[in-house]
Amino acid sequence: MTTIISLTILGVLTLFLGIMKKQSWLLPVILLGLVVSMVLTLRDWNTFSSYYNGMIIVDNVSVAFSMALIFSAFLIFSLAAHYYRGVLRPLDDIYGVMIFALLGAVMMTSYGNLIMLFLGIETLSIALYVLAGSHKEAVTSNEATLKYFLLGSFLSGFLLFGIALIYGSSGSFDLGRISAFVTSCAGIYPPMFLAGLFLLIIGLAFKIAVVPFHFWAPDVYEGTPTLLTAFMATVVKTAAIIAMYRFFTHTFHGIHGVWDTTIWVMAALTILLGNLTGLYQPNLKRMLAYSSISHSGYMLLAVVAFSAMSDNALLLYTLSYSIATILAFAILILIREAHGNDYFSSLNGLAKTNPSIAFCLTIAMLSLAGIPPLAGFMAKYYLFTTALEQGLLWLVIVAIAGSAISVAYYFKPIMAMYLKESNGIKLMVETPYKVSIFFMALLVVLIGILPFLVIGLL
Amino acid sequence: MVNTVLFLIPLLPLLGFLILGLGYRTIPSKWTSFIGPGTIFLSFILSLLVFFNFHHFAISPFRHLSPWIHVGSLDIPFAFLIDPLSALMLLVVTGVGFIIHVYSVGYMKDDPGFNRFFAYMNLFVFSMLLLVLGANYPIMFIGWEGVGLCSYLLIGFWFKNHEYNNAAKKAFIMNRIGDLGFLLGMFLIFTTFNSLSFNQVFSQAKSMTMGDPTIMAITLLLFIGAVGKSAQIPLYTWLPDAMAGPTPVSALIHAATMVTAGVYMIARSNILYVLAPATMTIIGITGLATALFAASIAIFQNDIKKVLAYSTISQLGYMFVGLSVGAFTGAMFHLATHAFFKALLFLGAGSVIHALGGEQDIRNMGGLRKKLPKTYWTFLIATLAIAGIPPLSGFFSKDEILLHLFGHSPVMWNIAVAGAMMTAFYMFRLLYLTFFRNFRGTEDKLHHIHESPPVMAIPLIMLALLAAFGGLLNIPGLFGGGDWLSGFLSPVFADAAAVTALPATISHATEYLLMGVTLAGCLIMIWLAYHRYVKKEMGLLPDDASHSFPVKLIRKKYYIDELYDLIISKPILLISRFFHDVVELRFIDRMVNGVGNMVVWTGSTLRYIQTGNVGFYMFIMILGIILILFLNILI
Amino acid sequence: MSAESLILFFIVGAFLVGFAIVFSIFVAPTSTNPQKAEPYECGIPTEGLTWLQFNVGYYLFAIIFLIFDVEAVFIFPWAVVMKEMGMIAFVEIVIFFFVLGLGLLYAWKKGALKWE
Repeated sequence: MTTIISLTILGVLTLFLGIMKKQSWLLPVILLGLVVSMVLTLRDWNTFSSYYNGMIIVDNVSVAFSMALIFSAFLIFSLAAHYYRGVLRPLDDIYGVMIFALLGAVMMTSYGNLIMLFLGIETLSIALYVLAGSHKEAVTSNEATLKYFLLGSFLSGFLLFGIALIYGSSGSFDLGRISAFVTSCAGIYPPMFLAGLFLLIIGLAFKIAVVPFHFWAPDVYEGTPTLLTAFMATVVKTAAIIAMYRFFTHTFHGIHGVWDTTIWVMAALTILLGNLTGLYQPNLKRMLAYSSISHSGYMLLAVVAFSAMSDNALLLYTLSYSIATILAFAILILIREAHGNDYFSSLNGLAKTNPSIAFCLTIAMLSLAGIPPLAGFMAKYYLFTTALEQGLLWLVIVAIAGSAISVAYYFKPIMAMYLKESNGIKLMVETPYKVSIFFMALLVVLIGILPFLVIGLL
Repeated sequence: MVNTVLFLIPLLPLLGFLILGLGYRTIPSKWTSFIGPGTIFLSFILSLLVFFNFHHFAISPFRHLSPWIHVGSLDIPFAFLIDPLSALMLLVVTGVGFIIHVYSVGYMKDDPGFNRFFAYMNLFVFSMLLLVLGANYPIMFIGWEGVGLCSYLLIGFWFKNHEYNNAAKKAFIMNRIGDLGFLLGMFLIFTTFNSLSFNQVFSQAKSMTMGDPTIMAITLLLFIGAVGKSAQIPLYTWLPDAMAGPTPVSALIHAATMVTAGVYMIARSNILYVLAPATMTIIGITGLATALFAASIAIFQNDIKKVLAYSTISQLGYMFVGLSVGAFTGAMFHLATHAFFKALLFLGAGSVIHALGGEQDIRNMGGLRKKLPKTYWTFLIATLAIAGIPPLSGFFSKDEILLHLFGHSPVMWNIAVAGAMMTAFYMFRLLYLTFFRNFRGTEDKLHHIHESPPVMAIPLIMLALLAAFGGLLNIPGLFGGGDWLSGFLSPVFADAAAVTALPATISHATEYLLMGVTLAGCLIMIWLAYHRYVKKEMGLLPDDASHSFPVKLIRKKYYIDELYDLIISKPILLISRFFHDVVELRFIDRMVNGVGNMVVWTGSTLRYIQTGNVGFYMFIMILGIILILFLNILI
Repeated sequence: MSAESLILFFIVGAFLVGFAIVFSIFVAPTSTNPQKAEPYECGIPTEGLTWLQFNVGYYLFAIIFLIFDVEAVFIFPWAVVMKEMGMIAFVEIVIFFFVLGLGLLYAWKKGALKWE
């Protein structure tokens, strides 16, 4: 709860710094504020409390994922100074909206009521529609925001309809009551309730970008300003998956037989389609978009394979995915700046001109591909083990096949960097930006070597 | 605090490796001269600290640092074990390691790969420390593999020479064969004891019966690992070739530390070995055969480093013989003294090679006694030590092994003494040909001969002191000594000692007699060498001179390399060619490419559904929604 | 409600919508001519482009109005329970107004209320 309040205050503060013409204070205040709200979040560890008649439930899962979200946002903000350095217009609105999006995301980790879930999703989504179009001069950015808005509001309708149907059949928005209703049904569920349930899956699946509701992702990711794409690919996805995870594993776990086939199929399709289509992308940003789609599929494994271990596995997975993805996007920003595009050919010979940057990108790619000893490998390992323990052999086989396919495209940038002749353009990087990059690369390695830092938490 | 110190010991060399490895292009060599040896020196100081505060560790030798791998019933913590055995090894590795690092500063001064060299050396020391400190087999194995890797990197240090690369590959592959044994042994340990931690494995093993077949299999498999790493028959041929590396590498890795890892591992697993008498017999036979065999080859070698390499193999054989008769202390003692004098011999050889501008053939040396006095005197001390002349260190350690051997089997003792005599002979042959008589190189070289700079000479002197007085560690009661090392190490071998039957006590008179016989034999050999190579000035025959068959056989190293080539390499190459040309290219490649092409084709087709048209997207989504609802609710 | 009734619901829904559309085709009188295709059927050809840009100020005003309008709705439930909850309710609504005021202040300072 303190997290939500502190983030709200931070968001308002950001906006007012803007109108007080204190642009140079913005980032320091935001970074400090994020640290403060991380500290406040940590104080809720092991408290297990609920607020406002169960509207918001704070438990260790929500604290851990809130931390992961704020930390991801922190990493992204640490890149913002470089990304927006040439921009003259005030940035307080973009930053402010980012923080409100983060707020929505945090609400999605700790909701105890469907109203709060919807509120969180909408806070997040509306903020994102704005952010996607925040580069007003670029046609691609306009295209991204329009597509995202059209499809997003369309699917939000389904989500709301789903919530309404569930309310209609169970008579409550409260997760506890709904859960009690599910138990009282004793195996015979009203179709209205089921329709609501599946519409809810569909609405959330859209936010996570799961096949067949993933179509927006590549187009929107490509058009959105890169820094905000990183935000979408990590914070938004983590929030949506944890919202789904909480809902389905805690409230609806009693009837997992009803919905898990659907999620199973969606996960398998997402993994296969994301990875297969990723093979053919000509540029890094689009490739990362497909990579993020395929990772949604892996994360869905945790929803189907709910068990004592899956909390940990999902946390490790989202964390390692987020850090590696932000790292990749951070370098993508540099490449786009230097070359004006991000075709793989722009990466040629990067190992010669900027060996350390090339190395960090390699780490990010290898981690996303799941090569030991990096974080991505450990995350996949734990997730797949959890799934196997739940008897999801075939899904794991699909996931491993998907991983194998993904290696092919994750190695494209690595090959370009190390094997091709350089075109002589050296990337210009300031020290703070470099420090952020190295820090993330270090984290990826560290989590890979010592997964126990994360895995024993929940 | 205690854990921090322990943790820092291997961490410092790793830090050195990271600094030098990451900055090998930019760090000036002056800094490297400090960073490289400096990290090892700090580790050495910390090791001394550990050693002198040993009572802290005696209470709880197992130091759990962090959890590491935990899967199902397999639980491997990242833990260090600090008991007398590892403390002794710590001192040897960091102490000798430091001295050799200092020496390398002078030896490698003009090499373009100066930084790279020290990076590898630091990595080696790190791996070796990990091997020594690990409290379970997997950590030991990581160190084991790490030292193997560094050995590979350093043998092929001058990678522009293709032959050196081949030598490096040979060392690596031979070691891999041994490593496979080690790995299988580890697996078997895990399935038998359900743990890989030393304390759990050993405490469970104590209650096993003598001669248990599983234990025998485990010990044999581990021994295969030791055979590879410690260059015993049949996996010894890599060590002479490994002399391709820079000489300090030969001193540190291929004489003092890495090659003794096998001995250490068996000493560490002593309880398992004493429960497997059959394995012990095999170890004894292998060790003895190696000792004798390698010594005989050493007699006819003309490359100064090759002689020392075969000598190392032979001495390692002695250590294994010692292990096989339960003389664990003796083996460890010999390991330590051997580290001193063999490192000294290599460094001395390096000094000679350095002075002669890269000349390694002893037939082209001679008369260096006057020109290189420091090198000569230190080399002489080491030679006397290895030949087993009292009161130098080698005498005591070799004697301890021989004594145990006699108690075990007089026949084996006889063979071992014959080996010791051969050792004295070839070592003095080397000494005489190098330092006595007249200089046989070109006139030009004669003028360039110069004594090594202090940075190389001082390490020689330090090692000479160690080689001379190292024997003080374990002076037997016979000479009024206190058997300090035996007492110090006894807790480690206590369980093993409890299981084995006490060896027949040997009276002091017999002991004196045995010593006398050995010593007399060695002195005779020294005289013989003097007679042949100084008096009669023999031993300068060119490579293509004709010899009688037995001599030729030994000169050609018993044609073992050729034999391996014929019975192993050639058939394997033939088979692999078949697999490559027929199975791989015709079948597997096509299949794999087929799968790959299919995947690529699917991807290229699937991407067309991403049209960019929002209406189309919505259409598909609606289709999806209908499908989901329809399938789930209505059916 | 069971699956049968849901099916019935879908069928009836589809039928009613379909029926309305199809029925109107048959019943309504239809005539086609060029004038009918034009945007305005007043007979005069249109002037300039039909892709006119509206002043964005309209939207800003509309959005700000909407926000405050919706938020005003929240005051009604508050008013209902105010007597029972007493002081706490009062404090909370003051905070609520304060936040609203901040929003207004921001919009004002950003110049959203200026009509240009």
